Amino acid sequence: MRNKTIVVGCGRLGASIASYASSQGEDVIVLDPKKDAFTKLSESFSGYTIACDATEIDELEDAGIRDARELILTTGDDNVNLYLAHLCLAKYNIPYIYVRFDDPEKGFLIQGMPIKAIYPFQLSRDRFSLLQQGDDGE
Amino acid sequence: MKIVIAGGSSQAEFITTMFKGKENQLIIINPDAAEADRILKRCRVPVYVGEPWRKYVLEEAGAYDADIFIALCDRDTDNYASCVLAQRVFNAKKCICLVSNPKNVELYRELGIDSPISSTYLLAETIRSESSVESLIRTLSLDNDKIKIIESVILSRHKIANKKIKEIGFPKYASIAAIYRSHQLIIPNGDIELKPRDTLLIVTATENQRKILNFVQAEAEKK
Repeated sequence: MRNKTIVVGCGRLGASIASYASSQGEDVIVLDPKKDAFTKLSESFSGYTIACDATEIDELEDAGIRDARELILTTGDDNVNLYLAHLCLAKYNIPYIYVRFDDPEKGFLIQGMPIKAIYPFQLSRDRFSLLQQGDDGE
Repeated sequence: MKIVIAGGSSQAEFITTMFKGKENQLIIINPDAAEADRILKRCRVPVYVGEPWRKYVLEEAGAYDADIFIALCDRDTDNYASCVLAQRVFNAKKCICLVSNPKNVELYRELGIDSPISSTYLLAETIRSESSVESLIRTLSLDNDKIKIIESVILSRHKIANKKIKEIGFPKYASIAAIYRSHQLIIPNGDIELKPRDTLLIVTATENQRKILNFVQAEAEKK
């Protein structure tokens, strides 16, 4: 059944998204090649953690990619995120795909596709300009 | 031809030497400054230092409208991203993508990369065709391995030897395209008799290769 939220990459961003989604009652699976990475998850995280290389299609399938409703790609490598987004859209037609790109120009390569991008550096910069203008956003 | 060579060390150097000349415009991009310097010294061509999966790098290197874009970086995903960028944004006509994981060959092709190549994959293909030669069969793959042309020699112990084509009930999923008999080409029809030592050229879909070989090589029952 397509009801899983899969988070690829358990860095700061991945771990916090996974912890949040889990706290909202979603069925979360987090993938990362390094087992140690999972220590970043919050204590109340109640989903699954799988140590695997998501760019290996067999490992991705074993992790249950076919059951994913939401896929969040947060590894620190833009090219890995781009590839997985294209692959999971073309092959598994996952309804909601979110991808992290450090390089905003990667956006050209998902244009016209049902893939949504998060640009952490751009967000921080935008926040910085707001703060600088004296608008603390409150 | 306009050829862009992205990444790679000795492979990049080899391909550069091969295509260097007046008729080709080469653009060489390498993410590693030391590697770029080496290629520059060995091949005496300008090398642009930068990551080929970044838009501004391809822009600055002038990698527009390449006839061939070759990605030779170490990591498969880097090559994938470079090829996608070259194809969609820089209008490359054909992309060749080196992959180290042979399983990625099929996947990358499905995702729209023209020619993913893997040395392990090629090695396995070579072993497979070499091992077929031993059993008197050679095969040729067409259209990304979807179509096979199989060469099979008839032996006297085969069931179909010394029979007319119309009598053997040749399966519908394959076709005998030609017969070689003592250096002569015969275009088959139902009345041609298959003789031992004839070589059949059979065309079939790859998934039926095994089945058709089993059919033509079935041995006659001993009386």
